Amino acid sequence: MRKVFITGMGSISSLGLTVEEQLKKLRSGQSGIGKVNHFQSVYSESLPFAEINASDEELKAITGFAEKGITRTTLIAIKAFQEAIADSRLTPAQISHTRTAFISSSTVGGMCYTDALYTDANNKGEISEFYSSYEGSNHTLQIVKQFKLKGYTDTINTACSSSANAILLGARLIQSGRADRAIVGGADCLAKFTVNGFNSLRILNEQPCKPFDEHREGLTLGEGAAYLVLEAENVIENKPLYAEVKGFGNANDAFHPSATSDDARGPLKAMRDALSTAGLQPSAIDYINAHGTGTVNNDETESFAFMELFGTAIPAFSSTKGYTGHTLAAAGALEAIISVLSIQNNEIYPNLNFSTPIAGRGLIPVTNLKQGVEIKNVLSNSFGFGGNGTSLIISKVD
Amino acid sequence: MYIKAISAISPQLTYGDEYVQGDFQIHTKGIINAIEPNYLAIIPASLLRRMGKAVRMGIGAGLPLIKNYPAIDGVIIGTANGGLEDCIRFLNQIVDYEEGVLTPTNFVNSTPNAVAGQLALMGEKMGYNSTHTNGSLAFDNALLDAKLVLESSDKPMELLVGAVEEISDYNYNIDTLNKHYKTESISNEDLISSTTDGSLCGEGATMFVVSNEKEGAIAEVVDQFQICFPENDEIAPLIVDFLSKNKLTPQAIDLLLFGNAGDGRTDFWYNNLQKEVFPNLAIHTFKQFCGDYRTASAFACYQAIQLMQKHSIHGFEGQQPTTILVYNQFSGERHGFILLRKLPLAMKMEH
Repeated sequence: MRKVFITGMGSISSLGLTVEEQLKKLRSGQSGIGKVNHFQSVYSESLPFAEINASDEELKAITGFAEKGITRTTLIAIKAFQEAIADSRLTPAQISHTRTAFISSSTVGGMCYTDALYTDANNKGEISEFYSSYEGSNHTLQIVKQFKLKGYTDTINTACSSSANAILLGARLIQSGRADRAIVGGADCLAKFTVNGFNSLRILNEQPCKPFDEHREGLTLGEGAAYLVLEAENVIENKPLYAEVKGFGNANDAFHPSATSDDARGPLKAMRDALSTAGLQPSAIDYINAHGTGTVNNDETESFAFMELFGTAIPAFSSTKGYTGHTLAAAGALEAIISVLSIQNNEIYPNLNFSTPIAGRGLIPVTNLKQGVEIKNVLSNSFGFGGNGTSLIISKVD
Repeated sequence: MYIKAISAISPQLTYGDEYVQGDFQIHTKGIINAIEPNYLAIIPASLLRRMGKAVRMGIGAGLPLIKNYPAIDGVIIGTANGGLEDCIRFLNQIVDYEEGVLTPTNFVNSTPNAVAGQLALMGEKMGYNSTHTNGSLAFDNALLDAKLVLESSDKPMELLVGAVEEISDYNYNIDTLNKHYKTESISNEDLISSTTDGSLCGEGATMFVVSNEKEGAIAEVVDQFQICFPENDEIAPLIVDFLSKNKLTPQAIDLLLFGNAGDGRTDFWYNNLQKEVFPNLAIHTFKQFCGDYRTASAFACYQAIQLMQKHSIHGFEGQQPTTILVYNQFSGERHGFILLRKLPLAMKMEH
């Protein structure tokens, strides 16, 4: 089977508009969580969020895309997409090649302007400019159109594991010979729909999220977009190979629509399958970028899964959601990029806001920037509603 | 990839034997609603009450297959929009109650992956699980995803693959703003010959048991192809190419099952392809049965397999195709092609 390498990355989050800007904050321990400037909601004042520091108008100016009806989801997707294809130095011919696939993902998609949607869906007033943009896959369609993509296209929504599955599928398309390149990732922006959804489940923390802490009280919602360029080993010409997508596992917890089982059977299966496709033993993992949302349920069950899988030799781990918040569909790709940065720079970015280990678990994540540690294999976890869970193994190029 | 069994909840009587015995349900209300079965034999009443239409149609069509094929490992669903009724209900709560204290049921039901999630939960399937939401290619995407999973297994493996789309007031209103539907009153019987703008909205859930094992299979998904935003003259040579990659000439196709929707603006895509590549074949259509919706290509595959089984589908009398090309597009944006071939085994009815 052909090896699949990462040769380009682009991302935008509350940490910055580019991968470089985000790396600086990851190193300096500065969180992107705080008061919002752009997102309007009853909860704008009372809850912290991880908002991208740019208005829709600014994003239009930055990306050069200002068509009527373009949504924030599409704008941040385009921003990260532009950075990824430039970073990988893909030519227009390569981008439009029929053997270049594009797999994106989103949960809120084009429904990010809740009030406009309310008016249009209920026939309650003047038609909004977004009436053609509501579909979950609208951002994909816009990118396909604007960048003249002619290859395989797809949009995935498996909730919080969406873009991890986009990476998995892109890698499989390349391995199977159906594509030579795949641009994979996802985008989700802050929306009343999501904020109220998570709030109705009572899993939003009034303070910035505290992954893996005994006193964690829920997650912090963020927004972001992230894309990686995956290429088959035999089509790459003279460009740096950032890392290899070495393994992946996708499993369903089959336990509850919005909670993980106590024995974390789904997450464990996803992690074990990822190790097995990578041909690695658990001891080969040098760092885990955990799902670590900061909810009572996730961090408890994910910790249990670590203990089951690694026994007493649990690798260094951190959740970077204390920086970026939970960016939902974008999280898998955003954290895959953070995993690549760890590999490239021999460093581990800390788990912010941690002070007390979870009782009965006792696991302590990395809490300060660790530098000078060789990271060969990273396990990156993404688990979500509907029992969906995907684990990826991203490895240093031999 | 091979198909072992199929099941559908649709605007036709596909849940029983009527549809394959030539019955044709006429819908005159402008919206072609699915004829839903009594779910109580499949779904406990307490669960059923909390399910939105997309989820219950998905469970109704999919769960009996999971029960009959215990070797099914995972679930892959294509749905452009998922549970929209719940989505709008939750949205309306947000606005009407000014983001007050809301109940999560509608939110949890509204996520498109709720169908695949519930099928995994109720069928206790911990294997591969994914949901594709890529508009009119979402089912095609689900099929290819399944193929990739099956290819990667060195053991015999089965998966449940399907598509679900529901009509809600929400998408009906939005799609009406986008001029997807006819403004005049017309029956589904007369849909395909219409040449005015727009089509009739349909819905349904269609499920397939797929396997990497030929034994026990009734049909084969030979290959598939997709293109977005093609030029007018771009598709014909691409399809000739696609067939030749599968060692087929256009003459090897027995039946064209195309998504003509009676839409005067976009039916030319189908008609042009037929004229240019298949001049000796007539176009057969499926949207008079199921209405127009983004993942209708799943219903087309269902119908194609019923035709291969020599069932008397209304308007298809005497057809005994073995190789069928399914073509569906929506708004001229995303075009998907699925090539199906009959296998000798006869199908047993699943319901």
